[in-house]
Amino acid sequence: MSASAAARVDVRAYACPMTYVKAKIALDRLAAGERLEVWLAAGEPLENLPRSAAEDGHRVIAVEPLAGEPGAFRVLVEKGAGTAPEWP
Amino acid sequence: MDDDRIGRYARQLLVPGFGEEAQARLGRARVRVVGADAVASAGLVFLVQAGVGRLWIEDAEDVAPADASGWLFAPSSVGTPRVDAASAVLAPLSRFVSVERYPTGGVPSATLVFASSVPQALASAESARRAGIPHVVVEPDADGGALVVVPPGAPCYACARSTTGIGRPAQPGIAALSALAAQELVLMIANPGSVPGRRIDLVRGVATARPTSRLAGCACGSTAGADEAAGPA
Repeated sequence: MSASAAARVDVRAYACPMTYVKAKIALDRLAAGERLEVWLAAGEPLENLPRSAAEDGHRVIAVEPLAGEPGAFRVLVEKGAGTAPEWP
Repeated sequence: MDDDRIGRYARQLLVPGFGEEAQARLGRARVRVVGADAVASAGLVFLVQAGVGRLWIEDAEDVAPADASGWLFAPSSVGTPRVDAASAVLAPLSRFVSVERYPTGGVPSATLVFASSVPQALASAESARRAGIPHVVVEPDADGGALVVVPPGAPCYACARSTTGIGRPAQPGIAALSALAAQELVLMIANPGSVPGRRIDLVRGVATARPTSRLAGCACGSTAGADEAAGPA
């Protein structure tokens, strides 16, 4: 885990939507402003996870190859302030 | 939460504001459903699919031919106890949900009422109110009707119920009202405090919600939550 991340989740073995679901659960456990490091595979997970995180109000800090792990990437996400939705 | 459950409930875990803890609350819930006729069918399936931990069905009647015109009860189930027929269909839908006949003395943590009479609806709602648990009461009317949503401490069902008596016989579109009632209950269980006391009228497919208000002198104003301290664990 990088020094700037409060938690890390490895979803390289999972497919969508499990990749973002597991990341979302990990983000739910963090305080706003804390960072989550996600290890994920190239392809669909790498395309979807940063986008989903941004859509949920989080900030994607970095997307970069995971050192020493061909085909894997590291995404650093900072948890947004977030607001509970108002149900209809 | 283990991967099996995360996989099962992945789609709703993605809903903003509906996370791991909300799903866990649902998994711990013991939901009593009063009435299991055709009107209740969609609501029962909704509760199972949402992942309530324990579904207690209370119904003393057998499956009637009219029930079998819906999609929960097969024609071959006509004449068998509704609870048994419903359980046989619902239980295989999820291995994470226990579907059972309501046990005598069972202490639910939420109640959904599809009563067949006004007195039964009032009695079931009052029991839930006195226990301090969230409940929803459904008033079917043809292919619509109304439902009264009662979180703990809100104006009771008697304050917001229809005063015109039993509605017209249910028609197939009633599934929308049934599912809407189950959704309201799920929201109250998953995110306590997120749903206010309200009445939703579904007329010609259009849902209209308005806050409920307490009738002057109603006992729920003086004893709301009176039994809450001794309520369900």
